[in-house]
Amino acid sequence: MGKITRLSLANIKKHKFEFISLLTLVMVCMLLVGSSLGAIVGIRNIFTNVMEKTGSYENYIFILEKNYNKEYENILKQHPEVETVTAVDTLWSMNTGYIDKNGKESALYMAFITADNEAKISKSPMDSTLSNEEIAALEHPIYAPYILQDSMGYKAGDTFDITYGTRKFSFTIAGFYETMMFNEMGSGLKMIVSEKDYHILSGLLPKYKAILYNDNQGQGGYELMDSFLEECEDYSRLDIKSGLVVFTYGDMKLMVTSSAELLLNLMIVMAVIIFISVVVIIRYRIANDIKEQIVNIGILEALGYTSKEITLSYVIEYLIMAAGGVLIGTGGCFLLTPVLLRMGELISAHRGCGNSNPLMIFLTGIVILVLVGMTAFIRARMVRKYPPVQTFRKGQGDHRFGREFFPLRKTKYNVHLRLALKGFFQNFKQNIGLTICITISALTVVFSFIISSFFGDGLNTIASISGIEMSDLRLEIMPYADGDVLADELEEMPEIRKATPTSGFNTLITISDFNEIMLPVAFSSFDETENIFPMEGRFPEHDNEIMLNNQIATVKKIKVGDSLTLEYLNVKKSYLVTGIVTSVTNGNMNLYITEDGMKRINPTYKPDVIEVYLEEGIDAQEFRKILTEKYGRSLSDAASSKAENGTYEERIRAEAEQQIAELMASNGATHIEYSIQFGDTIISGNSSNFVVSAITNIGEIMRTQLGSSCTAIRIVTAVFMVISAVVVMIILFILMESAIRRDRREFGIMKGLGYTSRELMFQLACRIVPSAVFSVIIGTVIGVTMTDLLTSIIGVVKVNIPQVIVLDIVMLIFCFVCAYVGARKIKTISVYELMTE
Amino acid sequence: MNFSILHTDKLCKTFSNGGVQQHVIKNLDLEIYKGDFTVIMGSSGSGKSTLLYALSGMDKPTLGNVYFGEEDISNYSNDDLAVFRRNHCGFVFQSIYLLDNMNVFDNVMTAALALQKNSPQLVKKTEELLKKVGITEEAWKKYPNQLSGGERQRVGIVRAVINEPQILFADEPTGSLNSASSSDVMDIFTELHSKGQSIVMVTHDIKTALHGNRVIFISDGTVIGEYEMPLYNTDDLKKRREGLQNFLDRMGW
Repeated sequence: MGKITRLSLANIKKHKFEFISLLTLVMVCMLLVGSSLGAIVGIRNIFTNVMEKTGSYENYIFILEKNYNKEYENILKQHPEVETVTAVDTLWSMNTGYIDKNGKESALYMAFITADNEAKISKSPMDSTLSNEEIAALEHPIYAPYILQDSMGYKAGDTFDITYGTRKFSFTIAGFYETMMFNEMGSGLKMIVSEKDYHILSGLLPKYKAILYNDNQGQGGYELMDSFLEECEDYSRLDIKSGLVVFTYGDMKLMVTSSAELLLNLMIVMAVIIFISVVVIIRYRIANDIKEQIVNIGILEALGYTSKEITLSYVIEYLIMAAGGVLIGTGGCFLLTPVLLRMGELISAHRGCGNSNPLMIFLTGIVILVLVGMTAFIRARMVRKYPPVQTFRKGQGDHRFGREFFPLRKTKYNVHLRLALKGFFQNFKQNIGLTICITISALTVVFSFIISSFFGDGLNTIASISGIEMSDLRLEIMPYADGDVLADELEEMPEIRKATPTSGFNTLITISDFNEIMLPVAFSSFDETENIFPMEGRFPEHDNEIMLNNQIATVKKIKVGDSLTLEYLNVKKSYLVTGIVTSVTNGNMNLYITEDGMKRINPTYKPDVIEVYLEEGIDAQEFRKILTEKYGRSLSDAASSKAENGTYEERIRAEAEQQIAELMASNGATHIEYSIQFGDTIISGNSSNFVVSAITNIGEIMRTQLGSSCTAIRIVTAVFMVISAVVVMIILFILMESAIRRDRREFGIMKGLGYTSRELMFQLACRIVPSAVFSVIIGTVIGVTMTDLLTSIIGVVKVNIPQVIVLDIVMLIFCFVCAYVGARKIKTISVYELMTE
Repeated sequence: MNFSILHTDKLCKTFSNGGVQQHVIKNLDLEIYKGDFTVIMGSSGSGKSTLLYALSGMDKPTLGNVYFGEEDISNYSNDDLAVFRRNHCGFVFQSIYLLDNMNVFDNVMTAALALQKNSPQLVKKTEELLKKVGITEEAWKKYPNQLSGGERQRVGIVRAVINEPQILFADEPTGSLNSASSSDVMDIFTELHSKGQSIVMVTHDIKTALHGNRVIFISDGTVIGEYEMPLYNTDDLKKRREGLQNFLDRMGW
């Protein structure tokens, strides 16, 4: 065994660069797979750990308070899967925002709850660096989910300004806590506030009743929830589904770990790609090494070494390399896994990862060692093909039946290209391995590039597939206001380019064919829209036509031309599907319908939202103030304003407006009039000036919800592209070095004939071009197809083909340059040494 | 009047090995004339092959200069030397050094295409030359390992002369051949010389050296003697042999 190991060590010593390169690749591979598998178990435990730690309920239903009835809890309790039920008061709005540390206002959905109510639904302790005395001294304390500390950098004692309309509420962060629901930017954050602050906010924000229940770890699922809601509607005869927010056990479980798991799985895929490359290189190197050292092998065989022993020396050589890589990689895993676990916590916005799993790390190492050993053994067994006599003839057989590729007598253009092609076909088998490696890398690069450009274009690309209008301001108007009249008025303003009435979130309708709740997006004419694009078919034009979002159409196998039945409060009507729309917003609920179509199923329907498109150069935030001035403040603004200055009459009016606002917000009043007499003066007014209930900026909301995800995706895809490029570079360097060593004599002869080193480097680099071209084309086709397949559920994600072609060209140039630079060792070949050896 | 095609000025070549320096060529001045068949002879280790490679641009001198015409090639970069070789030189080696992965025809074409563009004339010329040295059409598609030593060397000669070099360098061209093959190869050299080809050949074989018209004897890295002969003619072979033998005896051969 000792003599065999000596042979292996001698070989390693001779090829240090290749040894270190391969060791590095194995190390990276070990690091990626080991740490991902080590962390994945911990990340999968987050959900269970957090559920246990917080004692959270398993399912949540948020019903608008005005639609709530105490009897609902009893209805729910009657379901056999339901174990426990409770209901608490909360506030929740999509129109809230916050002032970030740079003073910039950003959209952020928020829910509010009192500490007492929170204690009813969770046992999560409050975590604070402030003393009890300090907390007690805070005027407006607020407890926020951990994400505010972990991702947004707030700490206890910091000021946290919440905005609603044009109003600002200043809170001081008293501490942080763990919560199962409303813990991240996408769904919004649940803030715990004092009774006093809750009361103030409840005068402005929509009030919800949160019904929470356990159903034995999600056994009831959506079926139970749907059936419960139906029963509630039957009981109350109210449209409780409109304005409804629900989260099932399954939803939450998926939300908690899916992103982190996806990232780890991508890391594993990357590692597998690297490992395939390692296997190809090992095969290539062994084959080359045997050919290069064939005479020495013959001598060893003649000296009595068996082919098995020589094979074993190769296996040991590569096992030493793999062991080195695995060992360093394992060390790295123990450093990287905690980082990944923390990253998993940050992505899931929960604290509660389990520990890393060392067993998975060790198993990964063993699997890598076994695979490397097997690869080396299988390839090195080719030694058996060469008996000593043949090895002395440098492996040449008695006959040569090989086909002659690219005879030089037929050279038409460049002799270097022809010689390169000749070389390519002479080493065709080995080039298959190279082709596989570059194909996989090209596939990774193209896929990463498409995804990166998709998420990297300042949200513009995502906006284009959002399936909703991306206006500058979205005005939610009061139920009694006439949207069409207001839109006409707004269009008169010079700052406004266009104002389009549409539907809000207040009405949900059901496709009764498969009992799916949908959110109608209604326009009088879809020709007025700017960001809704049918990927198939056309816009609905008549009152019996609709378009569906692509996800629901795909899942339910609905095609253009199919007929569906819509249901709203027991009214059922049939509609023709005229188009399919790419849409990634509102949880796949968007359904596109004309105003007339809406009126067919809901005769009292009228637009309750106006999409306002501003002229270029108009600042949306600034214009929001102008709108407030012109149409009176929004309800939220009016309800909180304090008219401490001004005349007596002005103060009376301000107070009256506040009262109106509060009544409308909290009691759902649609029209209020007042008359106040003091002395001989009568001050009267009504609520008709309150036409705007809220103003939001969809773009801002998207930026808050998706901005960090887009950045993360861009970083991950960029890392993938860099790793792929490095892998390709290392492969090409190793292949070039091996090729030069193997063909050293031939290159020396050609130098003697007058070929320069640069010409030979060019020839060698050109040899990989056919493989590279083929690989890049195949990689691109697979990459684009894969992207299409993966995104088909969303709809049409336009791949920028010219950009991909430029990327392909860059990849080819990169491969060529790497090969050219990798071939630089040709320069070290001395003709003289060769001639005199 | 003899026209100098190549000359050296105080040419030195030193090899270092483990700190030990070995001066193989020492201040050597030499002129090679156009149209001459110059034979370099000397005992083993005298530096004759080293001199040939320094003259031909295969290797760089340690000190001194090598001039091709008026051009000093001793300071050329490796790539410049490669271009010089393909433009002006042809090589025939003792070990032949055919490209194992190419057939006979491509071995010749590889050298030809390094300098010339492909054309029907070039292909025809290659065919003619191969035929001329006795490599028949059936052998053109054979690979080097399918040829005899003599055949391989004849292919090597065709490869060396395909670009019509100004100088043909040969290092022991018959060293690895049997007597019959050696004779064939040297006949080709003689014919080339008779047509005006300048040849510089290193050999330690008197029979081979007889084909030249100028013999330079080097010892311990310097030229110690020179002997001129008339053009090769089989009629006066005995007299020619005696003359060369006497010269070599005087040189301590």
